[in-house]
Amino acid sequence: MTYIIAEEHDDGSLLLRPESSSQTILERTPEPRGLIAADHQGRLEGQRPAPTMPMSERQPERAMATGSVARKADRPEPSLILEIRDLSVAYGTKTAVDDVNLQIIRGEIFGLLGPNGAGKTSTLSAIEGLIKPRSGSVLVDGLDIRRDPSQAKAKLGVQLQATSFQSQLTIRQIVRLYAGLYGVKLSDREITDSLQAIGLGGEAGKPFKQLSGGQQQRVALYIAVVHEPVLLLLDEPTAGLDPQSRRQLWSRIEHLRQQGGSILLTTHSMEEAQAVCDRVAIIDRGALLTTETPHDLIEKHKDDPRVRKVAHGDVTLEDVFIGLTGSEIRD
Amino acid sequence: MTSSRPATGPPISLILTSLLRADFFVFLKNRRVLLLSTLLPVFLLVTTSSSKAVQHFGGAAFIVGLAIAYGLAATSILGYALTVARDREQGVFQRLRVTPAPTWTIMSSRLAMQVVANLVIALVVVIIGTRMHHLSPSVGQYVLVLLVSILGGAVFLSIGQALVGLVKSADAVNAVGRIIFVALVVLASLGASGSLGSLWESIARWTPIGLVMTLFAGVLDLTARSGRDTLALVVSVAYIIVFAGIGIRWFQWDAR
Repeated sequence: MTYIIAEEHDDGSLLLRPESSSQTILERTPEPRGLIAADHQGRLEGQRPAPTMPMSERQPERAMATGSVARKADRPEPSLILEIRDLSVAYGTKTAVDDVNLQIIRGEIFGLLGPNGAGKTSTLSAIEGLIKPRSGSVLVDGLDIRRDPSQAKAKLGVQLQATSFQSQLTIRQIVRLYAGLYGVKLSDREITDSLQAIGLGGEAGKPFKQLSGGQQQRVALYIAVVHEPVLLLLDEPTAGLDPQSRRQLWSRIEHLRQQGGSILLTTHSMEEAQAVCDRVAIIDRGALLTTETPHDLIEKHKDDPRVRKVAHGDVTLEDVFIGLTGSEIRD
Repeated sequence: MTSSRPATGPPISLILTSLLRADFFVFLKNRRVLLLSTLLPVFLLVTTSSSKAVQHFGGAAFIVGLAIAYGLAATSILGYALTVARDREQGVFQRLRVTPAPTWTIMSSRLAMQVVANLVIALVVVIIGTRMHHLSPSVGQYVLVLLVSILGGAVFLSIGQALVGLVKSADAVNAVGRIIFVALVVLASLGASGSLGSLWESIARWTPIGLVMTLFAGVLDLTARSGRDTLALVVSVAYIIVFAGIGIRWFQWDAR
């Protein structure tokens, strides 16, 4: 079994988890910076296949421990694709994000969950470099978004909550514009082929607003990944989509992950978060309440009286979410 | 997806080319706005073609200058400011800002296309105006007209920028922009013609439209050049600095 270094602790020990992201077992190495032991056999039934990233890219971030041991000298540092340190965002006197710390590793789908106004979009905006945080830092693949904005943004793919492109431009012109902004030169043929690949070959000459919601979503996602980013940020990507479009979107997102990309998304759909996210974080009133795998989160809180109070039958991620953030409706 | 770490972001030349190309397509799609911006100047040229009107405004060169100033004010205060405000409100700028494109490239591309629009308007109006008012500018004067168009356009663009800097909502920008535009046009038309008396005539001459009119008149009638033209140039630059300063200082990319 292949393991991933999930965390490295001050004492030098490592927190490992199996490469299979849906599996929830985490192990701490017995001795500081020593040998990594692995005693789990095979993959769990129904687990997600490992990302199909080229080996040249996978090697640096994964500790290979296939039923044997790997020496420290062979063990590269874990690859953090996003590192948020002590992030605080304020609008005037109102604190929207309060001292948030978050890490996302390569190949991970990470869900940021929270009620309306919890600070999800503000956190994403700080990652995207749209707003200046009051304090803290955001590192994208090691690059500070405030210090090296252009380089850091070149590593991000972004799909905003409400995507708006220039209404006078056609889809083809929009694709060419955004590809160019990321340093990608596309010929007419390449644009046509790409649009055909996402089922929009016949829409290339139409303005963005003439497309259906699902089509707009496909264009927005295509543009977000046109430069093959290392981290894709999706702000409520399935909002307003019908089940077919939603299913298609998740399939595309899963495909992106299988190619080795990492994804940070916000969503109000707990079922989706539970189904697709490797880890989720719950944010409320600007503060990060918890960060776990969906399974661990449920296990950890299933006996919490607040969760039991709202659960009907088996505890779900939604029960945990409502239990932790409260039942009152937020604006 | 790849994980290679580029030493730098995408080349600025490619970013600028992409933005300029897109803004040029938008400019072509908005040609109706351009046409409407030339209607008012042409209307002014037609209604002031009598010799009495020419005398009122101080000469044919002043009328043509006034007409060009109207066109530049319309496209900059109404067109540019409203487009920027709407794009901001609809999140177009936010979408652009999450890309590696530096913010100065986004705005520079917009302004570059606006300068092109201003040049087109100035050229059309000056051609129609000189024919209607029997002026025969030299090639050099045409070149000067284009140069003054850039300067005059900058005066009104800076006012447009100040407008979108101080006012957030697109509707409010539209409303306030119309008020400013109408006020400037009425003041310049009535004031410059002397209909409101000498005090208002003096005030009108130092408004943005009055100054730009003076500058155009100066290049269209080189024999009538005076120290006032130089002063008009200096004050125009001062207007640009002040309004652009306000527009840049208080401009927000997000309407929220």
